[in-house]
Amino acid sequence: MEDLQILLRQHVGAPCRAIVSAGDRVEKGTLIAEPAGLGANIFSSAYGVVKEVLEDRIIITPDEEQKDEFVPIPEGSLLDMVKAAGVVGMGGAGFPTGVKLGTDLEGGYILANAAECEPGLKHNIIQLEEDCGKVIRGIKYCMEISNAAKGIIAIKKKNEKAVNSLREALKDEKDITIHLLPDIYPMGEERAVVRECLGIELETTQLPAAAKAIVCNVETLARVTEAIEERKPCFSKNMTVIGKMNGGNEPHVFMDVPVGTSVGTMIEKAGGIDGKYGEIIMGGPFTGHAVEVDEPVTKTTGGIIVTIEFPDLHGAKTGLLVCACGGSEDRMRDICAKMNGTVASVARCKQAIENKPGAALKCERPGICPGQAKNNIQFKKDGCEYIIIGNCSDCSNTVMGSAPKMGLKVFHQTDHVMRTIGHPLYRHLRVSKQVEQLPDGK
Amino acid sequence: MSISAETAKEHAKDPAVLCCRAEAGITIQASNLEDPAIFDDLVDSNLLNLDGALKIEQVLGATLTKTCDSLTPLTADVLEGYKAEEEEAPAAAPAEEAEAAEEAPQMKAPAAAAVSGGVMKIHIGEGKDIDIELPVGFNGGAAAQVELPAGVQVPGAAPVKELEPKVVRSVTRKHYQITEVKRGPETKIEGTTLYIREGIEQEAIDSQELVHNLKIDIITPEQYHTYSETIMDVQPIATKEGDAEIGSGVTRVLDGVVIMVTGTDDNGVQIGEFGSSEGYLDENIMWGRPGAPEKGEIFIKTEVTIKEGTNMERPGPLAAHSATDVITQEIREALKAVEDESLVVNTETFDQVRRPGRKKVVIVKEIMGQGAMHDNLILPVEPVGVLGARPNVDLGNVPVMMSPLEVLDGAIHALTCIGPASKEMSRHYWREPLVLEALHDEEVDLCGVLFVGSPQINAEKFYVSKRVGMTVEALDVDGAFVTTEGFGNNHIDFASHIEQIGMRGVPVVGMSFCAVQGALVVGNKYMTHMVDNNKSESGIENEVLACNTLCKEDAVRALAMLKAAMDGEEVKAPEKKWNPNVKANNVELISKTMNQTIELVANEQSLPMSQKRKEKYD
Repeated sequence: MEDLQILLRQHVGAPCRAIVSAGDRVEKGTLIAEPAGLGANIFSSAYGVVKEVLEDRIIITPDEEQKDEFVPIPEGSLLDMVKAAGVVGMGGAGFPTGVKLGTDLEGGYILANAAECEPGLKHNIIQLEEDCGKVIRGIKYCMEISNAAKGIIAIKKKNEKAVNSLREALKDEKDITIHLLPDIYPMGEERAVVRECLGIELETTQLPAAAKAIVCNVETLARVTEAIEERKPCFSKNMTVIGKMNGGNEPHVFMDVPVGTSVGTMIEKAGGIDGKYGEIIMGGPFTGHAVEVDEPVTKTTGGIIVTIEFPDLHGAKTGLLVCACGGSEDRMRDICAKMNGTVASVARCKQAIENKPGAALKCERPGICPGQAKNNIQFKKDGCEYIIIGNCSDCSNTVMGSAPKMGLKVFHQTDHVMRTIGHPLYRHLRVSKQVEQLPDGK
Repeated sequence: MSISAETAKEHAKDPAVLCCRAEAGITIQASNLEDPAIFDDLVDSNLLNLDGALKIEQVLGATLTKTCDSLTPLTADVLEGYKAEEEEAPAAAPAEEAEAAEEAPQMKAPAAAAVSGGVMKIHIGEGKDIDIELPVGFNGGAAAQVELPAGVQVPGAAPVKELEPKVVRSVTRKHYQITEVKRGPETKIEGTTLYIREGIEQEAIDSQELVHNLKIDIITPEQYHTYSETIMDVQPIATKEGDAEIGSGVTRVLDGVVIMVTGTDDNGVQIGEFGSSEGYLDENIMWGRPGAPEKGEIFIKTEVTIKEGTNMERPGPLAAHSATDVITQEIREALKAVEDESLVVNTETFDQVRRPGRKKVVIVKEIMGQGAMHDNLILPVEPVGVLGARPNVDLGNVPVMMSPLEVLDGAIHALTCIGPASKEMSRHYWREPLVLEALHDEEVDLCGVLFVGSPQINAEKFYVSKRVGMTVEALDVDGAFVTTEGFGNNHIDFASHIEQIGMRGVPVVGMSFCAVQGALVVGNKYMTHMVDNNKSESGIENEVLACNTLCKEDAVRALAMLKAAMDGEEVKAPEKKWNPNVKANNVELISKTMNQTIELVANEQSLPMSQKRKEKYD
């Protein structure tokens, strides 16, 4: 087995402080780092020996033999156990769940985010198909902790099997309902979930608590259940590995991957890379970033994607349309460089708001386009031949309404991924934003 | 981009076009609609056909009956419940509307109002032994201004007249005619001949480390067809009499001769940034512009060679100017020494008049301060001198208030750089038309001229423009002008100055070269009153010296527009594309209303065609 690399900064917040030293013996579930500021406990994901404690990571050499047992967290109140287990938001950002649930919702809502919006990822839906009971119990624990009266599971209508499992399981749950979402990106954006389920449009600076709601990803809810029922620390992650693999481009879903495992190991488990490739993305096609094979898995790694090679633009002038829904400007520039384009113009979607200088962009009205023709005029004026856009379904559709007629050739930042996994490209929108809801949400 | 409800209101009469895909059944709101500001571009690109489109005011609240994609004009066949078109009164849309633009003031004689700007005025025409005691005196009284509640009529105000104008200070210019410039053993003025000491060049070179060579050419009118390196500056030769400071006392000035600074670096690279005016003088000078020479004048032209590579840095151009000033200073000394009063051919007096009770206005002049080669020396000891002056870059580009007379008396020594056609030479300030017009206009009270530098970095631009806003607020003016030179980068702060003044409720008129090449890169909602300084035929920076700088015809338009603005008159929105007819219409309108002829200056088409212009521009 390879050495595990457990990063001290697994998600938003400050890096944790290591509390083990080189040579220390650790077990699965041994607390190895504690928050130094906003953060969550970090545990060893294997039996073994601490090989090295570096500034940003702890390296553990695992034993050849690994048992399933783990060191349980101490018993306490429900909230204490969620905190002690180091559960964080597993949808991507990784906000510490113990902190999130510490809010009194005064009879509000727990919103279970089952949108699994990033195309290509499947592990959330598979978890619901196979064991939605654990997730539903997680919702109930969260409702109890944060004094919520209702639970709503937001899931795309297209996931019929998972929806049916949920309907069956929720038959007798009077306080938990299902809200169906259209198959549009970015329905899984936290504020989009609030808007769709509750009809409340939050400002970019507001948290869901402003709508008396807490949004939790499906896997997070399952980890809450594990922390409370099994006293299990959070040291593993569910994920989808997909892309240009030997054996085809079907998704490979892995449950409970030990945190610290390398990207390369996961790719090998999924069959290994099939020949030449473009890049490896950690996360989803929209919001993920390019990594190398030695990058370790964290508590927030939801996807590992190996893409086909990039097209070559031969240095052509390219415009970047940066949006809160897609990659940051740096990521867009990274993609443009990989396509051998020359950035000649950068525009930002009108709704992409930078709450604080340098902070990640937030969309004012996720999935509802504010118009893009002006940006295209800018690209045209700046002499662009190509544009690369990072927009959501609706905005991409608007871009397509004018860009091609102006002679701008359009790429979406996810094109290489969509071509790899056989998903339609983000261009024209052909589905409705409206879906019919289930009777009484059941 | 989608628009706000506020924008929708402003564009109520414009066509309604979906900004994005919208599904059947939705109610049309402002956020569904594209901004009409970009329609021209879209129509031009063949992306949009507005035939049959309903107006924005008609469609708001209507229901869409069919799913439509972005940039679909909303027509009657896809909407339910739209409002019928309102019958418009024929007078509501005058014929000029289509041609309206940049400007178009509706002239109105400023009311000789009894109550002006919230100031209560009491005047007693005739009378003796009348004692009036009021707590409102003008000499530091507790309340110099009495705010009148809105709607209150002042009884008996009708016979009240304005307060007396007050002369704050004066400058007298004594003109000495020069008809010949010669070299000789000493620098002196004999009759109408100016002698420049032979060998002075070496002293000028030695005075500046960066100056490697300096050559003096005396260009007489017969020699105008001489090749010259780029013209960096045109300066009057003037000196103060006695201990007088700039802006007061007596100034002696030579007529018929100007200093012209030209130069390159060691490698022959022009000391110019965006375009340069090198070439035959007669093909590259727009005669008679405030900043340019007059036809018939003799040029004392220095050709300065500075250290290679310093042509784009601050010290290089400054060294060229300073070296030239060694020569100018010696001429000034000679001019000071002239004792024969009979040589004074003309005497002019400029009074700085304050007109209490009139609409109080301030002129904000943005000057270049990006560092590199863009700088201005402020308030030298001698008119357009170097000694004693502070570079505005070193002053942090913050606003500096000057009296109009300081401006006209050589307070600005301009280190010119960018586009020769739109840049203000030192001589420009000596004859600044807006300052002169505003100073002499008896309907306004010009309180001062605020100079502000244009820094390189945006954060600094906003830093200085906020100071401009605060200064103007403190001045409590009724109106303001903001002028700038050059175009492009400096338009960022130009726009910000206007915004800072406009947001304080002060009407403001902006003046800049814009036309085609200088089209504003930024804007805000306060930029409603703009005067374009362009004179060139095709609306471009044509590299002809001073061609597109502020002239009297621009000053007259700006004043008329500011008066209209202060009276609350609306100015028509600009056309999408530069249209020279707008200016022509405005000039005509002003001529008619004020019953005076406005002579328009010639442009580059009056000059012999240069090879450069032929190839690059015309």
